[in-house]
Amino acid sequence: MIPARPARRSLTRWFCLAVSGLTALAFAGMVALFAFESLPVWRHAGFEYLRGHQWFFRAQRFGALPMVYGTLAVSALALLLAAPVGLGSAVFVAEILPARLRLPAKTAIELLAGIPSVVYGLLGVLLLRGWMLRVLAPFEPLSGDTLATGGVLLAVMILPTVVTLGDDALRGVARSQRQAARALGLTRAETIVRVSLPQALPGLVAALLLALGRALGETIAVFLVIGRQDNQWPEHLLSPASLAAAGQTLTTKLGGSETHIAYGDPLHWAAMVALALVLAILVASVTLAGTWLGRPRLAGAASANLPSPAGGDPGDPHA
Amino acid sequence: MRRLFDRAFTLLVVSAGLLALMLFVAIAGYLAWRGLGAVDLDFLTQPSRGAGAEGGVRYQLLGTLILIATALAAAVPPALGIGIYRGVYLTRPQARRRVSLLLFVANGVPSILYGIFGLAVFGQLLGWGKSWLAGGLLLGMMILPTLTLAFAERVDAIPKKYLEAAAGLGLRRAQIVRAVILPQSLGGLVSGALLGLARAAGETAPILFIAAVFSGATVPHGIVESPVLALPYHIFVLAQDSFQPEAETHLWAAAAVLLGVVLVFALVALPLRIRLHEEAHHG
Amino acid sequence: MFFLVLAVLALPAAGGRALKVNGSSTVTPVVADAADLLQQTAGLEIVVDPAGGSSGGISALGDGRVDMAMSSRPLEPGDHSKFPSTDFRPVTIGYDAVAMVVSRDVWQGGVHALSRQQVRDIYEGRIKRWSAVGGPDRRIVFFDKEPGRGTWAMFAKWAYGDTQKAPLVSFPKVGSNQETRTKVASTPGAMSQLSASWTDGETIFALGIRRPDASVVYPTREEIAAGHYPIRRPLLVITDGPATGAAKTLLDLLLSERGQALVEKHGYLPLEKPAATEAH
Repeated sequence: MIPARPARRSLTRWFCLAVSGLTALAFAGMVALFAFESLPVWRHAGFEYLRGHQWFFRAQRFGALPMVYGTLAVSALALLLAAPVGLGSAVFVAEILPARLRLPAKTAIELLAGIPSVVYGLLGVLLLRGWMLRVLAPFEPLSGDTLATGGVLLAVMILPTVVTLGDDALRGVARSQRQAARALGLTRAETIVRVSLPQALPGLVAALLLALGRALGETIAVFLVIGRQDNQWPEHLLSPASLAAAGQTLTTKLGGSETHIAYGDPLHWAAMVALALVLAILVASVTLAGTWLGRPRLAGAASANLPSPAGGDPGDPHA
Repeated sequence: MRRLFDRAFTLLVVSAGLLALMLFVAIAGYLAWRGLGAVDLDFLTQPSRGAGAEGGVRYQLLGTLILIATALAAAVPPALGIGIYRGVYLTRPQARRRVSLLLFVANGVPSILYGIFGLAVFGQLLGWGKSWLAGGLLLGMMILPTLTLAFAERVDAIPKKYLEAAAGLGLRRAQIVRAVILPQSLGGLVSGALLGLARAAGETAPILFIAAVFSGATVPHGIVESPVLALPYHIFVLAQDSFQPEAETHLWAAAAVLLGVVLVFALVALPLRIRLHEEAHHG
Repeated sequence: MFFLVLAVLALPAAGGRALKVNGSSTVTPVVADAADLLQQTAGLEIVVDPAGGSSGGISALGDGRVDMAMSSRPLEPGDHSKFPSTDFRPVTIGYDAVAMVVSRDVWQGGVHALSRQQVRDIYEGRIKRWSAVGGPDRRIVFFDKEPGRGTWAMFAKWAYGDTQKAPLVSFPKVGSNQETRTKVASTPGAMSQLSASWTDGETIFALGIRRPDASVVYPTREEIAAGHYPIRRPLLVITDGPATGAAKTLLDLLLSERGQALVEKHGYLPLEKPAATEAH
């Protein structure tokens, strides 16, 4: 807060307000555009769009549920794999790693998070597909392109995010707390489990939510390894076998050729844009929840923790 | 008993850490091994041939640089504006928190949505066809939250005493912005910009529909109907045809160049950010 | 940002345009090579983009977004009705065949040809294992071409008479010819639709078609040229109205001896009599 005379007519103030307004307009405009351009398919299909199992654009049947399932399945798998390893590593980096190794460790994590998704996709295509075909053999997948492959690749991609945000959350617990615990005779493990973790819990959950947000929105890497098979609705929702089949997510559908095909056709285009709308709402909700939970650090000045989906972390106050 | 728990827990945690470390080393090592051998000066300076699968990546590199430069130009003014407005003219902390919240949510927007948005706006509404400017603007929109958050964080971190001193000297808010805030917080903007550039360089989804083509483009002529080549899009298309051994070498070389670009920005940003953190935390 | 906005408003819409060509990934290699040639010899800028496949290219031409479309399927009534104001002028620059292709283990396991009914049964899921058609006891992994592709349209026409009559099925999708080749070659038991000239006889094999009289016709050069192999298709370059300017230059090159050599180089069938050699 600036304790100076406020100037109503300041050029600076108007400039800042104007660009802020323009930016808000751009983002709001994006959502509004998605809502508006998808109207035809809402009129055509109504709730069936979200509940329907079948997407056959030639027959003008648009059911997005298998893609919502695909998105949630690969992201859930990714989180399931990345959370234990990531949170464990976060504890490792925050509590056990010697101070002089912190910097190289954080650097390494951030570089890993900055690797473009197309390169992860390349690794997935060339290395992961073959390996997953062997690993999933008991489930008899048709090829190495499966939801599980997408999930594993995503897990590797969001791991740095979980580690770095988890580390920030743990470092946010005051040293005095830890020192007091140790002074009382608690072992290091007990200190972590009884003092650090509970206090850092909102931040840790936030870390997982933000990583989930990134997983939900990832397109390119998943596109290359998931098979892009429509209408894959599993017989048993929670069985692992259903992950050993090819599938389609909201993002892979949007990033595929159907977007080109849909371009001139109002209903088809509306159906594609509706996918974008659903994705936007889904990711925004998760990100909002994650950011809200990580809220204490927003209120402060230099303690702002600034995750970005690429993992680029513009602020690491506890480094 | 407690000691056992201590040991077991430590073991668990260290294993997790080592697993993550091994993964990192494996990935970095593999990328280095496949990529470094394939790149040479020729690769960087020669244009591609054979419908893109052979030759060098000259125009892909150029296209990527054009796109990220445009993105930067598009993102910096709004980042400054929002950061200053939030830090200087919004007095209530709740208002500031809300702005930060919105920025965080904007930061998490999936990149493919920018691609669809771009197709709808620049393709359908404006009829630009494929345009480098569209790609740059979309990328700019994408990295705007990153820049703004980094800048805003620095604005927040300016010690109160500087601001009070300036006010005490009779400066108006706008003057304080110019004299105190901007110089002090520019570092944050720069580091945020570097991170944003690193991210923009590697993104495929925003430019997929509306800015990039796979072959034929060199230097864009105008604004509309002027696509560019781009490294990530190039790799994306080639990755779908990764079976030929010759194509694979080219593919890895292109990936290495892309990683090089990203790394340059990330590494330059690093010491800057560390210095800023030390100042913020201990200064 | 302000001067960028100003620049956008101030600059004229068109500026030193390159020729834009979109469409089929089958035709792309030929046109891209011709474009490279023209770039070197005449300094012409030609942008070739296989995004969207044959249908994508035709749509782009109809919308006026590109100057030329490449297609690996003939124009259909649907194209004309969708773009009534476009004067589509297709020019054939060569021929190609679409084959059902399989991975090596299937070929070596004894499957060398299929009848149309068998292909239909596989496509509609009635036949699920290779053993039912004389091959190894393994599941059939069918990769379906994306619907916008000329290759898919040709397949649908042959198998079902019309693209509209093709059944609604869901298989894992492949897009470009390159991706098809990669997926089929690297997946045991795989099958897909692909341009016959993209098979190499080592990792990916083209099946013959078993006719009702039990004879088999393979997609070899001779059989395709003689018209015996049923899924033959023209490789088209399409303009809106007669080709002029750079488009005409490109077209002339493609029809000339040099261009036809490019057609052959990529494994397709050239026209019977190439046009007189150009000065290029």
